[in-house]
Amino acid sequence: MSFDWGVIAGNWKFLIFQGFLGVGAFGGGTLRLAIPAIVLGFLLGVLIGVCRLSPRAWIHYPAVVYVEFFRGVPLVMVIFWFWFLIPQITGQRLPEYAVALTAFVVFEAAYLGEIVRAGIQSVPRGQIEAATATGLTHAQMMLQVILPQAIRNMIPSLVTQFIVLFKDTSLASIIGMMDLTKAAQTVSQREIRPFEMFLFIAVVYWLCTYSMSRVSRWLEVRMTPERAPAKRAAVRSAA
Amino acid sequence: MRKIVSLLLGGLVILGLTAAGWAGETTLDKIGRTGVFTVGTRTSSPPFGYINKQNEWGGFSVDLARLVHKAIEKRLNKSIKFELKESTPATRIPLLSSGAVDLIAGTMTDTRPRRDSVDFSLTFFVTGAQFLVKEGSPIRGIQDIAGKRVGAQQGSTNERIIRERVPQAQLVVFPDQPAGFTALVQGRVDTYTNDGIQLYGLKYKAPNPNEWKIVGDFYSYEPYGMAMRKNDSDFRAVVNNALMEALEGGEYFKSYDKWFGPRSETPYPLSDTVKRFLMMQVVPK
Amino acid sequence: MSFFAFLGMQYDFQWSVLWTGERGQWLLQGILTTLRLSLTSWVIACALGILSGALRTVPWKPLRLLAAVYVEFFRNVPLLVWLFFWYFGVPQALPRAAQDWLNHHGPEFWSAVAGLSVYHGARISEVIRAGIQSVPKTLLEASVATGLSVLQAYRLIVVPIALRLIVPPATNESLNLLKNSSLALTIGVAELTFMTRQIETYTAKAFEALTAGTLIYLVLCLGIASIMGQVERRFRIPGLIARAGRAEH
Repeated sequence: MSFDWGVIAGNWKFLIFQGFLGVGAFGGGTLRLAIPAIVLGFLLGVLIGVCRLSPRAWIHYPAVVYVEFFRGVPLVMVIFWFWFLIPQITGQRLPEYAVALTAFVVFEAAYLGEIVRAGIQSVPRGQIEAATATGLTHAQMMLQVILPQAIRNMIPSLVTQFIVLFKDTSLASIIGMMDLTKAAQTVSQREIRPFEMFLFIAVVYWLCTYSMSRVSRWLEVRMTPERAPAKRAAVRSAA
Repeated sequence: MRKIVSLLLGGLVILGLTAAGWAGETTLDKIGRTGVFTVGTRTSSPPFGYINKQNEWGGFSVDLARLVHKAIEKRLNKSIKFELKESTPATRIPLLSSGAVDLIAGTMTDTRPRRDSVDFSLTFFVTGAQFLVKEGSPIRGIQDIAGKRVGAQQGSTNERIIRERVPQAQLVVFPDQPAGFTALVQGRVDTYTNDGIQLYGLKYKAPNPNEWKIVGDFYSYEPYGMAMRKNDSDFRAVVNNALMEALEGGEYFKSYDKWFGPRSETPYPLSDTVKRFLMMQVVPK
Repeated sequence: MSFFAFLGMQYDFQWSVLWTGERGQWLLQGILTTLRLSLTSWVIACALGILSGALRTVPWKPLRLLAAVYVEFFRNVPLLVWLFFWYFGVPQALPRAAQDWLNHHGPEFWSAVAGLSVYHGARISEVIRAGIQSVPKTLLEASVATGLSVLQAYRLIVVPIALRLIVPPATNESLNLLKNSSLALTIGVAELTFMTRQIETYTAKAFEALTAGTLIYLVLCLGIASIMGQVERRFRIPGLIARAGRAEH
């Protein structure tokens, strides 16, 4: 048993700048992938969630199929599909980065869509009735009345899912995108220091995800100042 | 529930119908249209294609691909961007046929079954499969591997041969070379098999090269070629002519000396037979 | 495939690559390995999850802290990193004899089991904690008041009720484990996704291979989900409709 932590000192720049941030000759980058994936995935997720609640069958069922399909298949499989399909359909060469981004947005939207749906359903029915009574259309009601309230309710689950997505970006390394995991693999195979390398990136990932979850807790408390104690007590006694 | 399943199946079929086939554009047209020439190569097969200590990407195959790049620019009479993309044995054929890369220049062996799916350039390197073991290992060649844990790469020719010739060997197949070699170093497998020259590359790049030994006669014949999409003879001619010119004009040997010469990191002298074979592929002007 | 010709596409479908020769067996072996890997990891993950989930609610701080550290560290790092860590990294830290023993007992499979079960154990633990916390505290107090020890109260009252509450999120989490077992291909475990890739590399028929793999996962996941849906209906506690938190994938 012998460890050489110098390997981290010697390669941290490559790991952090190239692997984590995506600044360098190889493109990629964990953060550069995660941030747009979270934003775009959320937007698509809102769309899917709203569609799933639509009273019209031709909008409702495609959304159901979408969600059930992507929740029934491993993410690796979805990545392989996109990796193979995108160039076939478009005839365009796409860098791994774009393939990974597309796969993440499409895949995570299924999970985020479910969260959005649950959030919308958590809005009291009276709100819908009131909105309808004032003469708003379904779309207006969704955008102006329901969604703003729903989003507040979903923040904890949303952030949890964002953390999951952030961790999932490591799978982009399987198709050769240079993210933090791939950078660690590259260095570890050259220096034969897998223990040090993988433990190091585990800590880097952990620092990110843990701080995300702290922010989530803070947001949760902050965004429900007046409701926090009273509402919870009410829910418990109802249960 | 049943409704969902049938809907899903329906969706999948539709997906299947819309998927498939790039329209029949030739590779040269495509390179001209997009202005990019994308080459699939390895990130961890020193010295053909790998990421070095300075974390830069290069190698012998990459150098040869750059010569092809120059020939393409000359042919299309415009400046084309040269791009590298990682391709492993398991991914290179799909990458090529889907159009994600235009040329595979790594460590791909030209075989008859592979010619069903891709076309090959002329042979640019000749090697054969051997075994990499730790100094002092009882394994001396393919005759000793029954019952042993043998690491190999998914989709490589060696993997197939071992599977067929020595079914008693416990084959452990990895998606890429780093995983396989790290598994050997960590003692997870007893030996790692690949083309001899690649094993030399791994040995000389290892932190302690003296710990490692390449053993056994070649148990396969591995002529490396560059692969491209099938039925595109114009592009193939450009690639082949570039290679012939490199052999004729000496750029090939200069590059060989850089990567395999006596002062290189992976000394691997070019035998007279191989040299003659390479030169005889050069057809007259 | 003249049908595709009008779409300007050239792809020669050959579905027979999935079952001709040894390849039919490959898929079958892949399914079996996936199931064996998932099931083994699931049992260990549940044990770890129940243990640490329960520990996080006990009234003794060091134990709570230990469980919290385990859960927070392991579930917040990507599974893929853990798999590499267990397979490539851990041998470096083990004594020679232990390594040799492991190397002759399928290190790929057991590293994958270690990675999956420790990671998912931490996640199941969160599901269970949410379940236990949704059992009213008064119930525990009442149980203790009737003369049960705290341990007995947990074993006989709190945990059984919590278990019934967490059927839906636990099902979700179990399916996640099944899907995540596909990552084991990166360390050479010949599970379903691995075999799908293998067929693809041997035949260059990516479309057919991926379709087969996708359908098999769908059938497995939707099948398990519908069975668990029935279990959920059977074990639902009348009057308690609130679900104990939804697990992420």
